[in-house]
Amino acid sequence: MVRLPKILTLFMFSAALSGCVEKSILDDIVLVNGLGFDYCDGVNIQATVVYPDYLPDQPPKDKTFTGRARMKKTVLQDISRQTTDPVVTGSINTVVFGRELAEKQGILDLVDSFHRDPRVGSTIFLGVIDGTAKEFLKGKYGIRSTGEHVAKIIEHNIKHEDLPRTNMQRFFSDYYQTGKTPFMPLLRKTEAGNVELTGISFFKYGKIADSIPAEKMFFFKLLSDKYSEGLHSVKTKEGEASVRDIRSSHNFSLLQQNPLKIRVKIKVNGIIDEFNGEELNPSTVKSVEKEFEKIIYEECMELISRFQEKEIDPIGFGQFAKTQIRNFDMENWLSTLYKDLSVDIKPKVTITETGVIE
Amino acid sequence: MKIHIPENKKISPFLVLFLIHANQIGVGVLGFQRPISKEAGYDGWISILIIAVAIHIIMWLILKMCSTVDGDIMSVHEFVFGKWISKILGIFVILYLCLTIVAILRSYIEIIQVWMFPSLQTFWFSLVFFILILYLVTGGFRVITGAAFFSVIIPVYILFIFLLVLPYADFTNLLPIFDHSFTDLLKGAYTMTYAFAGFEAILFFYPFIKEPIKAKKWAHMGLLLTVAIHLYLALIAFAYFPREQLQKNIWPTITMWKIVQMPFVERFEYIGIANWCLIILPNICIPLWASGRIAKQIFGIRQKTSVAVLALFCLAAVSLFSTRTSIQKYVSFAGTAGFYFNFVYVPILFIAVLIARRVKKNGPSS
Repeated sequence: MVRLPKILTLFMFSAALSGCVEKSILDDIVLVNGLGFDYCDGVNIQATVVYPDYLPDQPPKDKTFTGRARMKKTVLQDISRQTTDPVVTGSINTVVFGRELAEKQGILDLVDSFHRDPRVGSTIFLGVIDGTAKEFLKGKYGIRSTGEHVAKIIEHNIKHEDLPRTNMQRFFSDYYQTGKTPFMPLLRKTEAGNVELTGISFFKYGKIADSIPAEKMFFFKLLSDKYSEGLHSVKTKEGEASVRDIRSSHNFSLLQQNPLKIRVKIKVNGIIDEFNGEELNPSTVKSVEKEFEKIIYEECMELISRFQEKEIDPIGFGQFAKTQIRNFDMENWLSTLYKDLSVDIKPKVTITETGVIE
Repeated sequence: MKIHIPENKKISPFLVLFLIHANQIGVGVLGFQRPISKEAGYDGWISILIIAVAIHIIMWLILKMCSTVDGDIMSVHEFVFGKWISKILGIFVILYLCLTIVAILRSYIEIIQVWMFPSLQTFWFSLVFFILILYLVTGGFRVITGAAFFSVIIPVYILFIFLLVLPYADFTNLLPIFDHSFTDLLKGAYTMTYAFAGFEAILFFYPFIKEPIKAKKWAHMGLLLTVAIHLYLALIAFAYFPREQLQKNIWPTITMWKIVQMPFVERFEYIGIANWCLIILPNICIPLWASGRIAKQIFGIRQKTSVAVLALFCLAAVSLFSTRTSIQKYVSFAGTAGFYFNFVYVPILFIAVLIARRVKKNGPSS
């Protein structure tokens, strides 16, 4: 019983302590889930936030606010002047950049605050918008709030389709990795008012250096992700087949130095989802495999020479070379060594199943 | 000075593992990857192995010393230097212990302020924390041992949380291995001395161990566990962050939690940091208890009084630091002090004990 006063004092102090820090009650904050940046006049940036406004007995309605200032945090301050409650960035799902901003001004100054801010998670998605971020975020898409909706689209395309794995952590890790170029998915708002994934943009020094369309994403994913999935159609003389890649893997090996030669082995295990020819017998399957290998070879080679021309290295050949060669000359990688790099693609396609009919 | 500790206040030998390990794991483990990779790059894990060998040797020296005099550091001092000098040295040891207490608590509060509550006031949090600490410390050494035991057992689940980071890990970051010179590796090992400090605690509680001979094994196992955890966290952090990104992060261990998402909690770091409170509890209890005990021996006051006075002193010191730069300076000073205490003073003391023993054996008086 001697201890009781002690325990009581402890409780008293802990009660007093909980009052010491700031609280955030869900109803009294603007819980932003989508954030967009646009080019404005070269000095300032324009930011748009979207958040779900919770109304009584109704589904939440999306609201957007736009502000202009020099830095991200001051834009949020500008936006705070328009909102009834404080703006909170803890539950942001998606951050998008207008294409003009990403091409002219670069995005590096903006992403610093996401890196620095402990309240923002590392799993948020970054993306580039064909058009302006403001228009994009103002759209009404589906029942979810815009930020969440876009995040869902990116997420399922990573899991089941051709989009290589990406989020803020991967973007930063590519950015800080020597010998690798970061990328972001490219999105747009269609005329019908939906969100569409249209490709991938590659960043050099924070500015867009190149973009590839959605059709090429499958091959980029084969090269960039260790394991990938996706769907691609193959035309043979017997008919056209769409091949779903269930599990593929790639393997890099260094063949020679000076000039660098790297071999990329790509293994694709796929099933045929659709076939519009006469009959799918073992020999047609063989020819689908052969044809697919040819397509993979050609498309991947084309992508690589395109990247070499633009002096970007999103596949990370530089990173690979660095791990294999001691004292690798990273300084001259993109400007000279990368151009002389020759890559040997060795695709191997195995069709494991062809569905329930022959 | 031979102090008799009653049997019912002693602890079982295997609990030494928890005491050593709990006192080593503190706030250092949240951010050791950055300094180590700054010096030794991603060969930093080799530095961890180097320092691991070093702390095992130091541990062996400490155990040898304590078993020679069959007592704690004060007995060692008295054995070597006599009564008066040992008292002066004891004051320095108290200062060193208070230094570590303040460093740990202030850096932990800084983490709360940066990651969770920017408006948290250092003084009020420390006050409540010290009340809890006093409650534990006045309970005696066995209560502290209990706290150390639970501070190791309960947060074990956090180790598994780091596995969720693995999808983002690229272990080729570690290649090529041995890309750094041996001096770089040693420099990296030096930065680890702060994260690994704390094992010297056995110098203070040695008389409280039942059958100290059996405890030797457990003390070394405690060290091994610490090394294993640091190695695990270093390898995961090296794989997760490219080198330049790691250089930007002050607390890589916490930053890795930012990627963890679970259905019931959006982000893990809030749970992790709150849980860390339990981990640093013995880090403060053990030094405070030890310094209180030494003060009691020097000044002949009651341990409750000495602990309360030292706690007040630390509380005042913790509130002094308010900016990142000052905290950083202070912590690196504490780290240097820890290095000199563990890796310079302890070996010197060991040699002194050897000499003193020989002199006493051959001396005419014995």
